[in-house]
Amino acid sequence: MSAEAQVKQIEMVRRQLSRESAEALNKIEKDFPDNPKSMDYFYDLYRRVHCEGEAPHGDKKVIGTTCVQVPEELIYAVGAVPVRLCNGSHTFDQLGAEFMPAKSCSLVKATLGMLSSEVASWLDQGGDIVNVTTCDQKTKAGRLMEEAGYRVHHLELPPSKESEAARTYWQSNVNGFARSLESVTGHKITRNGLRDAIVRVGRAQQAYRRLHRLRMSPLAPILGKDVFLVTNAYFFDDIDSWTDAVEVLNDEIERRCEEGFGAAQRRAPRILFTGSPPIFPNLKLPTLIEQSGAVIVADETCSANRMLYDVVNVDEWQLYDMVDALADRALKPCTCPIFVSDEDRKRRLLELARTFAVDGVVYQAFSGCQVFEMEQRSISRFLADEGIPSLYVETDYSPDDLGQLSTRIEAFIESLKARRRRK
Amino acid sequence: MNRFRAFINGADIRRFRFWVQLGFFFLLVYGGYFMINLGQSLPTFSCGFNQPGRAGVCYLLPLQHQTHIPWDSIISGRGLGILTGLLTFLAWLFVFNKAWCGYACPLGTIQDWMTSLRQKLGIRYATYNLDWFTRLKKIKYILLILLIVIPFLMANSVAGLPKLPDDMGTPFCKICPARMVIPAMTGDFSQWTVDFSTGTAAAMTGLGMLVLGIFFVGGFINKRFFCFFCPMSALHSLFSKVALLKLRKDGSKCTRCGDCYRACDMQIREIADDVESTTLVKDDCMMCFKCVAACPEEGALKASFMNIPIYESTEAGFFKRMTKRGKK
Repeated sequence: MSAEAQVKQIEMVRRQLSRESAEALNKIEKDFPDNPKSMDYFYDLYRRVHCEGEAPHGDKKVIGTTCVQVPEELIYAVGAVPVRLCNGSHTFDQLGAEFMPAKSCSLVKATLGMLSSEVASWLDQGGDIVNVTTCDQKTKAGRLMEEAGYRVHHLELPPSKESEAARTYWQSNVNGFARSLESVTGHKITRNGLRDAIVRVGRAQQAYRRLHRLRMSPLAPILGKDVFLVTNAYFFDDIDSWTDAVEVLNDEIERRCEEGFGAAQRRAPRILFTGSPPIFPNLKLPTLIEQSGAVIVADETCSANRMLYDVVNVDEWQLYDMVDALADRALKPCTCPIFVSDEDRKRRLLELARTFAVDGVVYQAFSGCQVFEMEQRSISRFLADEGIPSLYVETDYSPDDLGQLSTRIEAFIESLKARRRRK
Repeated sequence: MNRFRAFINGADIRRFRFWVQLGFFFLLVYGGYFMINLGQSLPTFSCGFNQPGRAGVCYLLPLQHQTHIPWDSIISGRGLGILTGLLTFLAWLFVFNKAWCGYACPLGTIQDWMTSLRQKLGIRYATYNLDWFTRLKKIKYILLILLIVIPFLMANSVAGLPKLPDDMGTPFCKICPARMVIPAMTGDFSQWTVDFSTGTAAAMTGLGMLVLGIFFVGGFINKRFFCFFCPMSALHSLFSKVALLKLRKDGSKCTRCGDCYRACDMQIREIADDVESTTLVKDDCMMCFKCVAACPEEGALKASFMNIPIYESTEAGFFKRMTKRGKK
């Protein structure tokens, strides 16, 4: 391809991407009445970063991450900024199809598509990425990122988390990652630096947990599509501005709770969302659920709850204990389906369903995301045994299945409403 | 009431514990100078060799005297002595359970101070790997059996074997580091000797000096090093199920994040991984309740007394402690 044609193509991709993002954002923002005022920070953020292509971190050294298991505190401690690369755009999904087999996961394809396109504002070509060996597709994608010219640290995750051997193996890998970060950036991780990073991330998590808790209110004070947008912004936003914006939002939501203001109808079925992560602009399923008259009150996904909920506890505030503590936080509570056992995921779902008075569970699996597809049977059976209705939806980033999906979602929500009336 | 609860649950357990431990240390090590006497059956290492400072005597000392008893006098006044001693011990234990270890034991407190020193110096702690850990833990039960059986075999000949030599005395005390460490706190170093009067005495006191050395090295690099082997802890754990003070867990609220496991000085894995049990006082537990302070889930872990929760894990408390300690 001539240089000129290449420039033309990049321009085309950029335009397509910004159109896709703008459409999704419009739908999320404009199709719903009574959005919280403080959501404007986030709508505006997405408009700037996704639609207009603004680089979120300016000149700062950015390190790309691909999974929630990366202890981002370490990245902050070397003075760099972590940006989660997992991508939700259909445009990039199509571009990435070149690198992966036909039946693979949209998320991995889109991430690869973005990294190979030179359109991404996230990371410079040849930048640093830490890729966790979670599922097969992500593991091999790490290699493909190297081929695309990035410097990749392959952070090895054990396939099971129960044994003490897995724990020590992971701890030593995280320690190795810390050393490699030091050599890549030329900054030493100091005790004070890491302690500040832990407190900084802790503050963000505290804000998230407050938002999470506010959603327990019997009259849902905020819609799930907005919360997904908020947690998703954590992927790329400056962490301190993010935390402040979430606290402002929390204050507004709290006022709503006190005033008895509901973001959805009083009788709207309450949904717990689980499975493959909704990532902007692919908030197709959450938006559809809430357009059909239900409200998402909680989730168990790695773009929201699983990423922000579990907090680190440090016993001795020295480097040796902090790094191991970060490793433990990333591994032990993780409910990712790549692990052998699904016990923790079941327990988490049940606890969320109970504390949030959930009417039904929607389980999203990206077609090609084998691990979520494989866990579907046991999770669905478990939920049925516990008397919680659930809907399993296999989908991807393309808008083609919207019609068929909306029929299924509406039917499910109607059945939840009918079930409520019978009670 | 709710605000009071929130205040308690947001408390920094370390500071609370530090002061309580310090108080008990003074009481048990120097209380004798103030004519305090809490009796002969304390369920903690208030060492009997620390005279006149002791404010009471560690139950293991009279227990070894009492089991030095010939068969035929068990059903007599001396047998009754064993029983009253045990009952007094149980009464103490019944109220405070294993918190005697985490809050009162002077030897435990000294180890915690050694840990603080190591921490201040920025030296990493050592841990056992799980295999070794499960094996080593059993030593305390073996010591417990021996400290009851050896005095008995000194007084009785079993199956025609000769009696054990009398100069084994109180065998566990001979090898217990508290016999040397606690009196030293009042300036009495007379126990830091090897007694060469007889071969047995030399062997036992020599072993004692060796244990003392191991105690200082082990206690410095390993948190609560000696407590893994403590026969008093073994004796506690036989009765800890019925005690009033309890550590409770609500498994449904637990995310198995392991924050409590990390905080645990005794490496008790079940505190994080066991989501079935509702009370979780394992044999090594010293009821320091650091795990409760480390838990970010509302009400997942709690210390309760007669089923009344006295200290509970809360999200607000967790973050309060984290920001406070992370600022230093």
